[in-house]
Amino acid sequence: MKQKNILQFIAIAVFSIVLFSSCNSTKEKIINVENARIKALIVNGQMNKSHDDKQSSPILEKILELTGEFNVEIATTPPQGSDMSNFKPQFSNYDVVILDYVGDDWPEETKTNFVNYVQDGGGVVVFHAADNAFPDWKEYNEIIGLGGWKGRNEKNGPYVYWENGEIVRNDTIGRGGKHGKQTPVLIETRNPDHPIMKGLPTAWIHAKDELYGDLRGPANNIDILATGFSNPETNGTGKNEPALFTIKYGKGRTFHTVLGHVNGKGPHVAVECAGFITTFQRGVEWAATGKVTLPVPAEFPNAASWILWKNFQPLSLEDLVEAIKDYNLDDSREHISALSLRIRNSDQKPETLEMYEKVMIEIIESNATNDAKNLICRELSIWGSELSVPALEKLKSNKDCGEMADYALQRIQG
Amino acid sequence: MTNKINRRAFLRNTLATSAGIILLPTIIPASAIGKNGHVAANDRIVMGFIGVGSQGTGNMKGFLRNPEVQVVSVCDVDKENRDRATGIVGAAYDNKDCSEHKDFREFLAKEKLDTVGIALPDHWHGIIYSAAANAGLDVYAEKPLCRTIDDGKEIVKAVEKNNIIWQTGSQQRSGSEFFRAVQLVRNGIIGDVNYVEVGLPNGGKDILAPASAPIPEGLDWDMWLGPAPKVPFQGVYHWNWRWIMDYSGGQLTDWAGHHIDIALWGTDLEHTGPVEIEGKGYYPRKGIYNTPIEYDIMNTFANGLKMRIANNRKLKHGGGATFYGTEGWINVDRGRLIASDEKLLSAEIPENGYKPYRSRNHHVNFTDCVKSREETIVPAQTGLRAISVALLGEIAMLTERKIKWDPEKMEIIGDDKASRLLKRPYRKPWKI
Repeated sequence: MKQKNILQFIAIAVFSIVLFSSCNSTKEKIINVENARIKALIVNGQMNKSHDDKQSSPILEKILELTGEFNVEIATTPPQGSDMSNFKPQFSNYDVVILDYVGDDWPEETKTNFVNYVQDGGGVVVFHAADNAFPDWKEYNEIIGLGGWKGRNEKNGPYVYWENGEIVRNDTIGRGGKHGKQTPVLIETRNPDHPIMKGLPTAWIHAKDELYGDLRGPANNIDILATGFSNPETNGTGKNEPALFTIKYGKGRTFHTVLGHVNGKGPHVAVECAGFITTFQRGVEWAATGKVTLPVPAEFPNAASWILWKNFQPLSLEDLVEAIKDYNLDDSREHISALSLRIRNSDQKPETLEMYEKVMIEIIESNATNDAKNLICRELSIWGSELSVPALEKLKSNKDCGEMADYALQRIQG
Repeated sequence: MTNKINRRAFLRNTLATSAGIILLPTIIPASAIGKNGHVAANDRIVMGFIGVGSQGTGNMKGFLRNPEVQVVSVCDVDKENRDRATGIVGAAYDNKDCSEHKDFREFLAKEKLDTVGIALPDHWHGIIYSAAANAGLDVYAEKPLCRTIDDGKEIVKAVEKNNIIWQTGSQQRSGSEFFRAVQLVRNGIIGDVNYVEVGLPNGGKDILAPASAPIPEGLDWDMWLGPAPKVPFQGVYHWNWRWIMDYSGGQLTDWAGHHIDIALWGTDLEHTGPVEIEGKGYYPRKGIYNTPIEYDIMNTFANGLKMRIANNRKLKHGGGATFYGTEGWINVDRGRLIASDEKLLSAEIPENGYKPYRSRNHHVNFTDCVKSREETIVPAQTGLRAISVALLGEIAMLTERKIKWDPEKMEIIGDDKASRLLKRPYRKPWKI
């Protein structure tokens, strides 16, 4: 039985159309979500005043559907204070349930269904503020592992954080849940072999977000995949706080991300962060199936640079090329870096390299800036072939690019 | 010819014609010692310095403390560095005799030197190290030996052709903790070593591209760039050049001449190289810094030994070189020597065991060898082997390819695109 409310559906459709049309230069993949292999349900409908699930849930839906692997539905509760008795999503119809909800208690039957669903092997994803919900629901707290606010304290379980290479459980008396000012966060991998983390850099900067700290909970069967440093200079806890972690509950799997603050007017950089998007997609897949098949994108952030994806996905090659053409000396080099990474991380088959080489030739033959052409010459010095020689020979007569054209030619021609 | 050159010729000829006889005490006869106890001026080793920024000045101060050395000239493309350096020399000697040059070609042609100390951004090493060797000078040269393996081969060729004394500035070799680690490992105290980890610092920032800025007064920017691609001045030069690939390979190549060098020394691989190299690197994306801030490289040597090079934080024992043997492990870093069992560290070395080259001071080892004409603790060939491991790792990361390497011919096998990265084309008119 579909719980998706028609109005909600229309709202999402409209939102999606707005998103799709607001970036008409980006070629959107046509995704047939009906045939996607993983069925996901986002639960929303009530939220505390610091967050906005009406914005975040459709973003999460889009982030998942862009992979082509997820068919996402949204189950929305009635508003706060109204009759909840008809809120009965059939959790067992889905491979994974994504929690984007903080609010009134669900009906007992729904709570029992949820716990049974997890016990029987269902996947759960806890998104950011959802770990504030239900402080007194024992099983919920076991399923999410750690939570904060709403009166949580030592009765809910220890503080859990990372120190000197290991997990610390600290029973000190005190309230659970704290965050500093929003700031970029250094995320460090603590379990590089977990399927969600495999192939990611071991440290990367997450774009400006509200990093939770001092979370408390039973934390049974917890596996901390990555921590974020809660910087005391921005009023954080000074600790390496769990940022991405998993919980085993019964046969079920929980992936908990404390990242992803969404509220107010955009841009919502916390969820535009390529690192958030990628770990969320991989985490949802893992919670649903126990495996991760989604690839790590070439443009994943690292310990030096955070990377934003304005439409929740990397630029199309066509848009990337247009962005590169406008490059000036004091602009960010992220677009040319992205092209370089895509080439390097491609399958490097002859036809792939030739496609990229043609793209680069097009740039040096276009009306791109000389600064852009000079950077492309450096790439061609590595990846170029005889195919590039005529364009580079021609570029030699450009007084601002001649030296770099010659540089590329010297390497190509040996 | 000056007395100085004559003295050098004398040193060489004497040693060449009296092989096996230790003539050292006769080189500086008691009669040449001044009344104040210092070496008489005519018998001092006459030294000049090219590149007197932070590292070059540090080296120069070290040599100034040696009474056997007379510093007579400095060369730098930045007037600020020259002024500071001549001031330091003047204060040491209480005179104003130290000359200065902007152009190394003029410096090498005009100054009558025995030896030269060189500390420059890596992109200049190929040309200036070779020029100093070809001028017949003994050279104390900063690590890493070269920016590219092609440059390194040229340097070694020039050193060998001119039969000069060469010390690479891998000064950890003259540190007692490193000596002891190598002594233990090479004498089998931890059994057979089949795996080594090398932990290096992170580097790691992404400054957004600064706008082009006015060139500081007294800096010859075009000469600073030299053979590197011409780019506008954006405020990055002294010290921070090491985060830009045109001039350096970042922490990976900066530290290759230290911990990789020690790893090769400890495993008796300092005269060869890996046969297979794989690596993954992560780079700043936005600004002008573009050397890797995270890297993880695995080298396989012909004898099967594997050597992993990665950021400190990724390795169990952090920084330095960790040797894993069949009977334990030893980690050595600056000021730290630890082992799987502390007793290993005090193990007795057999009388007839392997005796590593012992140097207690890297600068003194150089001047001693200038006098004795014996090989220094880190000759050019050894310097090249250490940096080659890092440069091959750099190529593996930049191409995301498994590199096959012939350590004898020093050539990449069967990969045209990777082979291109063994050199960086020089801007005209520069050449070695």
